[in-house]
Order: sequence, then structure tokens, then C-alpha cells
Amino acid sequence: MILDYIRAVTLLAALPSPGDLVELPFMRTALIELTLLGVVGGLLGAWIVLRRLAFFAHAVGTATFPGLVVADATGFSATLAGLAVALGYAGGVERAGRATPADGGGDHGDVATALALVVALALGVVLASDVFESGAAVDRLLFGTALGLGGADLLVASGAAALALVATLLLGRAWTAVAFDGRGAGALGLPLRVADLLLLGLIAVAAVAALPAVGALLVASLFVVPAATARLLSRSVVGLLTISVGVAIAQGAVGLYVSLWLDVPPGPAVAVVGSSLYALVTLTRAALGGMTAPLPIAEAS
Amino acid sequence: MDLLEPLQSGIERRALLEVALLGGFCGALGYWIASFRLSYPAESLAHGLLPGLVVAALAGVPLLIGGVAGVAAAALAIAIAGRDPRIGSDTATAVAVTGMLGLGGLLALRPDAPARLEELLFGNPLGVTDGDLIAAAALALAGCAALVALHRPLAAVALDGAGAGALGVRPTLVRLALLGLLAAALAVAVQGLGSLLVLAVLVAPAVAVRGHVRSPGRAMVAAGATAIAAGIVGIYASHLLGTAAGASVALALCLAAAIGAGSRSVARPGRQAVATGESGGAPRSRASQ
Amino acid sequence: METATAAAPALAVADLALSYDGSSPVLEGVSFSLPAGSSLCVLGPNGGGKTTLFRALTGELTPLRGRVDIDGRPAYLAQTERTRLDFPVSALDVALMGSLANGRWWLPARRSDRAAARGALARVGLEDRAEVRFGELSGGQRQRVLLARALVQDARVLLLDEPLAGIDPASRERIEALFRELRDEGRTLLVSTHDVDSARGFDRVVCLNQRQVAFGEPATALSRDALEQTYGDEIVVLDDEADGTFRAVTVQHHHH
Repeated sequence: MILDYIRAVTLLAALPSPGDLVELPFMRTALIELTLLGVVGGLLGAWIVLRRLAFFAHAVGTATFPGLVVADATGFSATLAGLAVALGYAGGVERAGRATPADGGGDHGDVATALALVVALALGVVLASDVFESGAAVDRLLFGTALGLGGADLLVASGAAALALVATLLLGRAWTAVAFDGRGAGALGLPLRVADLLLLGLIAVAAVAALPAVGALLVASLFVVPAATARLLSRSVVGLLTISVGVAIAQGAVGLYVSLWLDVPPGPAVAVVGSSLYALVTLTRAALGGMTAPLPIAEAS
Repeated sequence: MDLLEPLQSGIERRALLEVALLGGFCGALGYWIASFRLSYPAESLAHGLLPGLVVAALAGVPLLIGGVAGVAAAALAIAIAGRDPRIGSDTATAVAVTGMLGLGGLLALRPDAPARLEELLFGNPLGVTDGDLIAAAALALAGCAALVALHRPLAAVALDGAGAGALGVRPTLVRLALLGLLAAALAVAVQGLGSLLVLAVLVAPAVAVRGHVRSPGRAMVAAGATAIAAGIVGIYASHLLGTAAGASVALALCLAAAIGAGSRSVARPGRQAVATGESGGAPRSRASQ
Repeated sequence: METATAAAPALAVADLALSYDGSSPVLEGVSFSLPAGSSLCVLGPNGGGKTTLFRALTGELTPLRGRVDIDGRPAYLAQTERTRLDFPVSALDVALMGSLANGRWWLPARRSDRAAARGALARVGLEDRAEVRFGELSGGQRQRVLLARALVQDARVLLLDEPLAGIDPASRERIEALFRELRDEGRTLLVSTHDVDSARGFDRVVCLNQRQVAFGEPATALSRDALEQTYGDEIVVLDDEADGTFRAVTVQHHHH
């Protein structure tokens, strides 16, 4: 009954029926993919937010762009190409100890990373438009696609989801302790380096899984934004994880619907939906709770 | 190769002039952006202004206006996102920037929208009009004048904000001025290099000259000169190789940075890390493990 | 001069030199040993090497020279940083983290660990605050929770980096009482501080200013000469008693 009502309303408003998400085969695939990615992004996103790895998550996705262009043009596996770049980037970042902008060493690592991303993007563009002349692929690789998702992508996303789940169960306590008090956790005997490597590596792998659906530029829409929203609403680490997954899945579904409605790729839609939700939550909290955080003029460090 | 060939074409002449004007100012400004550790905010504003550009392109309004509006919107979004102290500033910025990038993509990738997204993302120096050149020249002149006027307070605050305060220089005002210049630079430079690549012209020259010059004044000039040179090389390369102009300029700038940084560590080899005496791996008796 | 004790020391450091860049030492010439159940005050100015020494004792920093022998894995209570106050963990969660030291950190916490955490919180007087968010506790309460974590870890050696800085006097007393209890149990405490006066209450004192200036019982280690070498002109010495003892006050900026 309610479904009929919704259908009627959406028809009147010339919106697509939400049922299309499930009835149209390619949309069904996209929905399952985004749900799986929501699990991954929600779980890992919690650690990303707690460990201040938001920039890393965005960067590792962006860095894969040239690899994706090459793979796309030559028929090589995009997943493998993405993994090679992403894991290489993660390894380099870990060795340099520059995962977060707040790390010691300050701006030098920041700047190098930012320039490396510029190089990646510029290279990708040159490869796409002038070497391979596959210019049309650029939008798809940067912003994702709903139509082009297939069984292989679902498989990769399932694998990533399973990995994220297992890792959270096994490593969650250690990651929490390290995020809470790195030095104290080290004193407790936790292998800090291994824990960090695993986390960075996992984020890299998971980001690659998300690339086909949301694109290289918008990995953070699933890996940072839902967890940030959840952080505003949760009071414990377990709560953060749960809410984060829930928000990510919901965000993916609504984003997919918007992408169907406006006929745009899913990445931008998911990003806009997610960030809008975050804005709603934070502004509501401010209005209700009278938050008095001063507007941040750029900090010197 | 005929050096004068690109100068024959009005399009490329304008492109060369544009990158020279922008490079000079943005390179010099970039030295301070790097000194004040503002590269991450600069990058965030650059990416975040995309929707402003898209709206301007869709509405047929000059991109400069879109750039200014875009920077303002991005700054507002970042400020709102960062209100809750539980969310670190880098996470909040990521949320804001992702949202803005998504918004820009959403508006630009609708089927009925004219396909100019790549230009807005990666720049189009060859699309520079005379109007754009005038704006760039005005910015470069005004901006360089401002930098000259401000360079002593900037140096004082960069070195020691608290101490500068005691000298009567107000760090907050200096930082605000710097941010204002950054916003203006981004709004104009983004036409040539695009939202995703514009950071190169701000940051790469500073990296290239770091360690090679002693005083801030000289560093500014050197950075500006490096940016101009790299920009010209980029346009020439794009002409020769037939590659996208904006991307070529960005790559040339990053190459300059790599050369500058690399030659610094060759000229002054790092100290050898040698542990003398008993090695640090001495066994530590533990009850467990 | 230390007399040899029959039992092995809980902590022994010999000719230790530490550096961050692998070549130039920020701290050198550190040698001392501590029997179990004793307390050491690590005294020195900011930048003098107190935290550096602790980092070497936890194994975070590899020595340039020299060796460290330590009984078991020390607990480390670092200077409180702002970010930890936002973290979504309760007092019980933090105390429970001590059980990660038992080696199998990839497994969930056992029931016995949970009981131990509650017991530890009770010992420090916070059993009714177990579910409160760590960041919502007062400074003194937070220090006690970190001590509870050390108890769950069952550390024989505890390293405390300026634990009493900015703590109100009532909590101070409770914490100092806890310190005495821990020592009576045979645990060894190393406490770093600026406060020269409090150093007199410890079994031993080591003065650090990029090198070891003095080590020994407070009466000998806190000589005028040693204090001046440690603090330079940051110290104001006030001649006090007729018997020649004096009070010394450090004048420096505290960054908490």
C-alpha cells in the first residue's frame, strides 16, 4: 500500500520509481555493489576517521588514475593495475611515515604527496587524451559508472567486504588502542608497524574495489563521509562501526537512486548525498547543542 | 624546431603570456603558501571550487566569477564541516571537498549539460581570451605589489608568529591577507590549469627553490621565475608533442620541483647514520616474549 | 655509589646514548640501575631528554650506544594530548587495553581480562565511573584510569611522563598514595617532572640535561652544583635552613 503511494508520488513528480533500483538488472547489480562497498567503506571508514587517514584514503584512490587509463586502453585488468599503484603508494607512504598531514615532518610530506597526485592526474589526462585517445573514459574513471559494473566487480567488492569484516574483528582492538594512544600501545607490545601496514594496505585494496562504481576522485564519499557522519552520532567504537556501515549503505542506495534520476554517474550522486547528510547532522547538532567551535581560519600546521 | 613557431599563433601567444603572468605571481605567492604550511588548505580550496566553475560555465558567465564564487563556497563548506571538534580538520575538509567535487561532477555530467568538465578539471590555457589576459595581468600586478609590500611581515610571522606579535605585526591579519591572495590566485589560475592541477603552479616552484636560496625575498623571485620558465616549457612541449596544454604545464612544473629537490640532496649529501660502539640492538631481558 | 644488591635490578641502563637522526646524540652518558619496588625521579628541563629516555625504555627508540635491561614490558603513561579527549572510549575500555599486552591482541578480550579491568578501576577508586567517556573525566581521574591500565597490564616497571602536571591537589594526593601502594607491591616507578621539590620524596633521582648530570639518593643527587648544571639559569636557589639545606625553584614555561 505504501509502496503504491510512493510509486504514485514519484510518477507525478516525474521521478523514477525506487523499484527500478531492484527491477532493472543493471541497477540491481549496481545496488548490490554499492551495498557491499558500503560495508567496506563503513567499516574501514571508522578507522580512517579515528586514525586521521582521510587524506590518505582520497589520495590512494586518485593516485590510481593513470594506471586505470592504461588498463582501460590496453585491456589489462583495471583491478590489478589499480592494486599495483595503490599498494605501491600505501607502501611508500608508510615508509615515509607520512600517512596523515598531522604527522611529524609536517609540510614536506604533505607537499610531496600533493604534487605526486597532480602528476598522477596530469599523466592520466595526457595518456587518455593524447596517447591512447580514449578521452571519453576520463569521466568514467574519475567519477564511476553504474552501467559498466559486472560480475567481476561484484566479486572484488565481496572480497573486500569479507576482508574488512575479518580485519575489523581481529585487529579492531589493536587499531583502537593505537589510535587512542600510539605510544602507550607500543609500550603494551602491539606491533605498531605491522598494524599500520595492514590498515594502510587494506584501505588501498578496498579503495581499488570502489573505483569502478564511484571513480578515482570520489573514493572518500564511501570511505570517509559516512564514517564522519557516524562519528557525530556515536559514543563508542562499536557504535561508530555500526552506524558508519548503516549510513554508508543507505547513502549508496539513495545516491544510486539520484544517479538514476538525474542520469549521472553514481560517484557524484553518492558524494553529494553523503556530504549533505553530514551537513544536516552537524548543523542540527549545532542548532540543538549550541556548539561553539570557532570557525577555523587556516591553521599554521 | 622553430622557436618562434608557437608565437605565430594568437592562441598560443596568449597561452604563453597567460602562463607567464600567472606563473610569476603564483610561484612567488606559493613560496609563502609553503612556508605557512597552507598546501593542504590550498589544495582543498582548489578542488572545492569546482562547482563554482561548473555553474559559471553552465550559465555562460565568465569563469573568473565562477572561480571567486567557488572559492567562497568551498571555504564556507570547509568551515561548516569543521565545526564539530570531534571531527579533525583534515577529515572535515575531506568531507567538504568530496561533496563539492561530487556536486561539480553532478552538475557537469548531466546528459544535457555542455561537455566542458575536462577543461574545468584540467585547465585550458589555449582557450584564453583577451579578457582573461587582462584579468591575469591585473591580478599579477596587484598581487606582486601586495607581496612586495607584505614580504617583511610575512617573513616575521612565518618565522615566529608569537614573536612577530610582540613586534606589532598581527599574525591573524597577515594570514588573512595571505588567504585572500590565495583565493584570488586560485580564482584566476584555475582557468589555465583547472581545478585539479592548479596546485602545481602554487606549490611546485616553492619546492624547486627550497634549499637553494637563502632569503625569502630571493626565494619569491626565484620561485616566480621558475614557474614562468616551467610554464613556457610546458606550452612548448604541448605544441611539440600534441599533448593537453594544461597538463603539460603542470607536469613541467612538477618536473622543476623534482629537479630542484633532487639537486639539493646531491649538493649536500645527508649525514651518514652510523651507530658507534655497541650496537643498539642489545638484547633486553624481558619476563615474557 | 650504588651498593650491589643480591636481587637483579628491575631496570638497568648502561652508558646509554640516544639520538633521533642516527648520529648526533640528544642524550648520552646515562647509567643507573634500580631495584624492584623503588621509585626514580627523572628531573630535567624541557628538551633535556626525559621523554627521550622513556621512549628508549619502551623500545620505541633504538639506542645509539649502550644497553637497557628491563624486567618485563614497562607501562607508559605519556603526557596527555588533546586528541585523546575526543576518543569514543570509556574508562573501562581504556583499562581493558592493558590486556593487549598478554600477546594475543587479535583475539577479543577474555572475561578474566574484563574482571581484571574492573578490579583495577576499583583499586584506583573509579569503579563507579567505568562507563564514563575517558574525555569527560577530570585530569586526575584520567591519570588514574591510565594507572588502572598499567595494573591490568601487570607491568613491573611504570614510566610516568609528568603525571601530576595540571592536576588538582586532592587528586594529586590520591595519585601519590597510589604510587606508594604500587611501590610496596614491588613495582618500580619512574616519574619525570619539573618540580624539584617533589624529587626529594623519591628513592632515587636522576638529573638529565642532554646528559646524565647526577644520579643517586635525593640528598646527594640534588646538590646545588647538580641542579645548576641541570637547569642552567632557569633555577632560583633560595638558601633556607641554617643547616645548609636549600630550596630550589625552577623558572620555566610549562607546555601541557
